[in-house]
Amino acid sequence: MKSINDEFLEIISNYQGILHKVNLVYFRSRSEREENFQEIVYQLWKSFPELKNRESLGSWIYKVAINTSISRIRKASRIEYHPNLPDICDKTDTVEFISRNSSLQMLLEAISHLDEIDRSIMLLWLDENSYEQIAGIIGISPSNVGVRINRAKEILRKLMNTSNHGKQ
Amino acid sequence: MENNELQAIWKTLNTGGQQRSKEELQLLLRSKARHTMNRFVTETLISILISAGLFVYLIITSINRANDMYYLTINIILLVITLVSIVSGYLSWKTLRGNPSDQPLKDQPLKVWLEKRTSVLTKWLYGRYCKLYLYLIPPLFILILLSIHVYFEYKPFLEVLNNAESVTGLLVALPIGLFVSFFTAGRIRRLRKQQLEFLLDLQTRLSGI
Repeated sequence: MKSINDEFLEIISNYQGILHKVNLVYFRSRSEREENFQEIVYQLWKSFPELKNRESLGSWIYKVAINTSISRIRKASRIEYHPNLPDICDKTDTVEFISRNSSLQMLLEAISHLDEIDRSIMLLWLDENSYEQIAGIIGISPSNVGVRINRAKEILRKLMNTSNHGKQ
Repeated sequence: MENNELQAIWKTLNTGGQQRSKEELQLLLRSKARHTMNRFVTETLISILISAGLFVYLIITSINRANDMYYLTINIILLVITLVSIVSGYLSWKTLRGNPSDQPLKDQPLKVWLEKRTSVLTKWLYGRYCKLYLYLIPPLFILILLSIHVYFEYKPFLEVLNNAESVTGLLVALPIGLFVSFFTAGRIRRLRKQQLEFLLDLQTRLSGI
C-alpha cells in the first residue's frame, strides 16, 4: 500500500504542468519561479492530508498554486512580471521554446498587462476550464467570471493586434 | 483575432522540459527545511557579531577608564554577561549549522537532522529560561546606557551622576530605550516562534519520507 507521501509525490508529478504554467504567468526570472515552485509544492504537501475531495485534484492544485503565487507577489511587491520573455540567463527548455514561438510570447506579454486575478482567470480559461470551475477556484460568481473573461479577452486581443502590427 | 485562437496559441505551450521526477520533488521539500534553518543560523551569527562588537567596545572603554572604579565595575559586569552570551550563542550556532558533511540531503534522514536542531530551538523559545530576557533587558539596558553615557561625557562616573542635566537625559532615554528593546525582542521572538512552528510541522509531516 502506498504511503500518503508517495501518493502526494505521484499526484504532483502528474500535475506539475499546472504549477509551471502558473509560474510562467506570474514570474519572469528563473530564480523567482524556482522559489515559487518550491513554495507551491510545500503548500500543496501541507494541505494534502486534509484534502477531502480527491476527484477534483486539478482544481485544488490550481487554487493553491494561484493563491501562493498571488500572496508571494503581494508580500514582495518588488517581484513583478516583466514582458519581453525570455530572460537571457534563463535556459530552461520551456523558455527557450517560448522564445521560438512568437505568438505564445506575445500572448504571455499581453497577459502580463492584466491584474493578478484576471491573470489567473485567463490562465484557467486558456486551460479550458468552465466558468463554473473557474468560479469555484477563484471564489467569485460564474457571471462575474464571464464578465472578467470577456473584458480580459478584449484587452489581450487589442494588445496582440498592436504587437502584430508593430512587427509588420 | 478570434477567441479560439488564444486558446490554440496557449495549447502550444509545452512545459514538459521542466518536469521533475519524484525524487527531485522530494529533495525540493527537504531543501525548504534547510533554507528555513539557515535563517536561524544567520540570525544567531548576527547576534554573536553584535555581542562581539559590544565586547570590544567594553574592553576599549575599560582600558581608557581604568582609574574610574565605578565605571570599571559596570563594564566588568557587562563584559561577563556579553562573554556568556557570545559563548552560548556560538555553541547554539555550531549545533544549528552542524559540520559541512552533516547535510539532510546526503545520508542522514531529514527527520533526524531536524530533530537535532529543533530541540535546541525549542529550549530557547519554550524552555525553562525562555522568559529570562524579560528580566535581563532592564538591568542590561541600564548598565549599557550608563556605560555609553558616562564614557562620552568624558567625566568620572560619580560626577556624571551628580549632574542634574545628565540624570534628566538618562531618565528620558531610559523608558524610550526600554520600550524599543522590549518591542524588538518581542518581534524577534514571535518571528522565531513562527519559524520553529514551521520546522516542527515539517518534522511531523516528514515522518513518512
